[in-house]
Amino acid sequence: MLCTQATEDAGMRRPWGSGMKPADKQAYLEEYELLKKKGKPFFPYAVLKDSAMMLAVVGVIILMSVILGAEQGPKADPTTTTYVPRPEWYFFFLFELLRVIKPPELVPIATIGIPTICMVLLLLLPFYDRGPERNPIRRPIATTAGILTIIAMAYLTFLGATGGSPTEIEMEVAPQYEAGKEVVAGAGCLACHKIGENGNNGPGPELTHIAARIPRAAIVRSVEIGPGIMPSFRDLPPKKLNELADFLSSLD
Amino acid sequence: MSDESDKQNGAEASGRPERPAPEPPGYFEGESMTRRKAFTVAVQGIGGLAGAAIVLPAVGFAVAPIFHRGKERWEAVGPVNDFVEDTYRQVVFTETEGIGDAGKTTAYIRRSSEQLEEEPGKFVAVSNRCAHLGCPVRFVEAAGNFICPCHGGVYDFQGKRIGGPPVRPLDQFQTRVRAGQVEVGPRYSVTSQLEPVRARDPGEFTGGVWEYLYPPRPSTFPPP
Amino acid sequence: MKLDSLIPAPLRKPAKPGTGNGSKGPAPADLKTSPPERPSDAQRLGDRAKDAPADVLAWVDQRTAATGFLTGMLYRKVPKGTNWFYTLGSATLIAFIAQALTGVFLAMFYTPSTTQAYASIAHINNDVFLGQLVHGMHKWGSSVMVILIFLHMGRTFFFGAYKYPRELNWVIGVVLLILTMTMAFTGYLLPFDQRSFWASVVSININGTGPVVGPYLSDFLRAGPELGATTLSRFYAIHMLLVPGAIIAMIGAHMYLVVKLGTTAPPWLKAEKPKVAAPVSQLDAGVEGNGAAPQ
Repeated sequence: MLCTQATEDAGMRRPWGSGMKPADKQAYLEEYELLKKKGKPFFPYAVLKDSAMMLAVVGVIILMSVILGAEQGPKADPTTTTYVPRPEWYFFFLFELLRVIKPPELVPIATIGIPTICMVLLLLLPFYDRGPERNPIRRPIATTAGILTIIAMAYLTFLGATGGSPTEIEMEVAPQYEAGKEVVAGAGCLACHKIGENGNNGPGPELTHIAARIPRAAIVRSVEIGPGIMPSFRDLPPKKLNELADFLSSLD
Repeated sequence: MSDESDKQNGAEASGRPERPAPEPPGYFEGESMTRRKAFTVAVQGIGGLAGAAIVLPAVGFAVAPIFHRGKERWEAVGPVNDFVEDTYRQVVFTETEGIGDAGKTTAYIRRSSEQLEEEPGKFVAVSNRCAHLGCPVRFVEAAGNFICPCHGGVYDFQGKRIGGPPVRPLDQFQTRVRAGQVEVGPRYSVTSQLEPVRARDPGEFTGGVWEYLYPPRPSTFPPP
Repeated sequence: MKLDSLIPAPLRKPAKPGTGNGSKGPAPADLKTSPPERPSDAQRLGDRAKDAPADVLAWVDQRTAATGFLTGMLYRKVPKGTNWFYTLGSATLIAFIAQALTGVFLAMFYTPSTTQAYASIAHINNDVFLGQLVHGMHKWGSSVMVILIFLHMGRTFFFGAYKYPRELNWVIGVVLLILTMTMAFTGYLLPFDQRSFWASVVSININGTGPVVGPYLSDFLRAGPELGATTLSRFYAIHMLLVPGAIIAMIGAHMYLVVKLGTTAPPWLKAEKPKVAAPVSQLDAGVEGNGAAPQ
C-alpha cells in the first residue's frame, strides 16, 4: 500500500490501467477494520467450525475407503487390443473436449491451447477484474462467467462419463437382435456413427433412429456399397449381414 | 555505497545543492574499486559458482534421457509364410528391454501389396499406437479399418487416417527378413503420404513445416 | 449485672479475660487462638501443578519468542458474518495432510519398479494390516481434495476475495491448484494397472503436442522416447518429493497471507459506520452526519 501511495504521489501512471482508486482502497480497508471489530476471535469460534469440517472431511474419506475399497484393475498391458482407456473422473471434461474436437488441425488447440488459455485467465484474474465491488449480485459479468464455466465443466464431465467406447453398444435390444448388435459393434460402425450413447457423432450420420428414416433395403444398400468415405461391408458373411440389417432396421 | 546514494537522493528530494560524497581514507584520484565493491562481486561470483555446481549436474541428470538413444533392437516375430497380403496378423514383441511386460507392444504385420503400389517382397508392420494420443487401436477385419476406442479415430487399411482426430497415419516399424523369419526393428513415423520420417510422439503433425515445429528428437532412430 | 450499665464504662470492673464484654468489645471472630493451618503436602503439590502449564509456556517463550506470534494468530478477530463457506480452505488443507500421511505409509511398502509396482500394491491391499484402508484413503482422498480445492476456489471467486489487497493470495492459490493437478497426474501412474498406464500414456502425449518444446517435454517426462525403466521412478520422485515440497512451501505462503491480511467478510455485509458529528465546514456543504464525503 505504501508503494502504490508513493507512485501515485510521484504522478507515475501505471501502464495497465487504474484499477481501484486509492480512495476505494482506503474505504475498503476502513470498512474491513470496522467489520473485524464487530467480529469474533478466531480461536475458538472459527476454529470450531474448521474443526467440525475437518472431521467431516476425514470421515468422508475413511467412509469412501471402507465402502468403495481400492481394488486394482488388471495389470498394465501395452499390447492390449480390447481395453478402453479412460482418465480419472476429474479429467473427464478435458477428455470429452478431445472427443468432440474432431478435425486434426484443431487437436493441439484442444490438448494445449484451451487448457493453457484457461489457466492463464485464471491466474491473472485479479489483474483484469479490479473493480471494488465484491457482492456477486452486483458483479454480473464475473458471476455469469463463473456460473457458465461451472455449467460447461459439469456438462462436459457428464458427457465424458456417459460416453461409451466406439466398440460396444450399450443398448437394450430384443433378444432376436442381440446377434446383430454384436456384429455392428464389432464391425467398426461406431467409429463413424453414433448409436445410442456409443460411437462418434461423425463423419457418418447418427443411426439411433435410422429405421424411421430409411427402409431396410436402403440400409442394406448403404452397407454393401459404402457411399462416399464409408467402406463397403459386402465381404461380411451373408449371415452376419442379415443380422446387422435386422438390428439396424429395428432402430426406429 | 548506500551512504553516498542516500545522501544524494536526500539532497535531490529536498532541493539542496548536491555535495560530493566524502572520500574514504586512502582514496586516490581515479580509484574505481573499493573494498566493499570487491567483496560484493566476490560474494556474487562465488555464490553463483556454488549454486551452479549443485544445480547444473542435477538438471543435467534429469534432462540427459532426452539425448540418450538406446541400442537398435530387432526381434523375430514369425516365419515368412505366416503373413498375407490382404489382412493383418497381430504380433506381440518387446520394444523396450528390461521392464518386463510393460515394454511389450502390439504390431499388425502383412505382406506388401502390389494393388496399393507398394514395393513387392516387403513386409509392412503397423503400430497399434494411435497417432492422436497413443491409445491402443485395434484392427477390425470386417471393415478393413483400424479403430481407436478413446476418441474415435479411424484409419484405413494402409494406416492412413480417414476419420476422427488423429493427426497423421499410424506409425510403422522397420522390417527385414533374416533366416526365413520376419524381424521388426525400430519405430518410425510417416507423413500423410506414407513417407517415412523419424519417430514422433502421438499428436504431432509430420511433413513440411511441421518437421520444424515438432522437431525430431535425438532419442529416436533414423527412418528407413 | 444491670447496675453496671449505670457506671461509666472506664470505671467498671474489668471483665475476666476471655469472657468478652471488655472495653473493646468481644474478641474478634478471626482471632487466631490455635496454630495457623499450614497447607498439606498434597495441596501444595496441587497448587504448583496448576501453575505448570504457564511455567512450560514461559520456558518455551523465553527460548523461542513464540507466544506473541501464537496469541496473535489464534486470537485475531475474524470479521462479522464469517460462515461455513470459510471452512473450505482448512478442509482442503486437512485433505492434503491426509494424503501426505497416507502417502508416507504407502511409500513404506511400494516399489517403484515397472516389474514390481503392481505386485507391491497387491501386497499392500491383501497382506498389510489396514493396507486396503490406507490405500483406499489415499485413492479417494485425491478425488476429495480435487473437489474441495475447486469448491474453495469457487467460494473465493464468488465472494470477490481475490481483489485488493489479496491478489497475491489468489495467484498462490492457482499455483496450488496446478500443483495439485500435477500430483494427480504423476500419482496416477504409480499403481501401474491398465487404467493408470493408459491414462498416463495419453497425458504424456498431450504434453507432447505443444509446438517446439512438446517432443522434448514428453521425452523428459518419460525419460526416453518410450515408457521405460526409469519412467516410473521419475514419476515417483516428482510425486513424492518435488511437488509435495513445492506444495508445502506454497501452503505456508498462502496461510501467512491469510493470517496477515485476514479473511474477507461476506460481500453482502456492509459495516455500520460509527455515527460522528460532521465538522462545521462540511455541514455547510450538505454532508451527512456520519462524516461521508460529499457526493
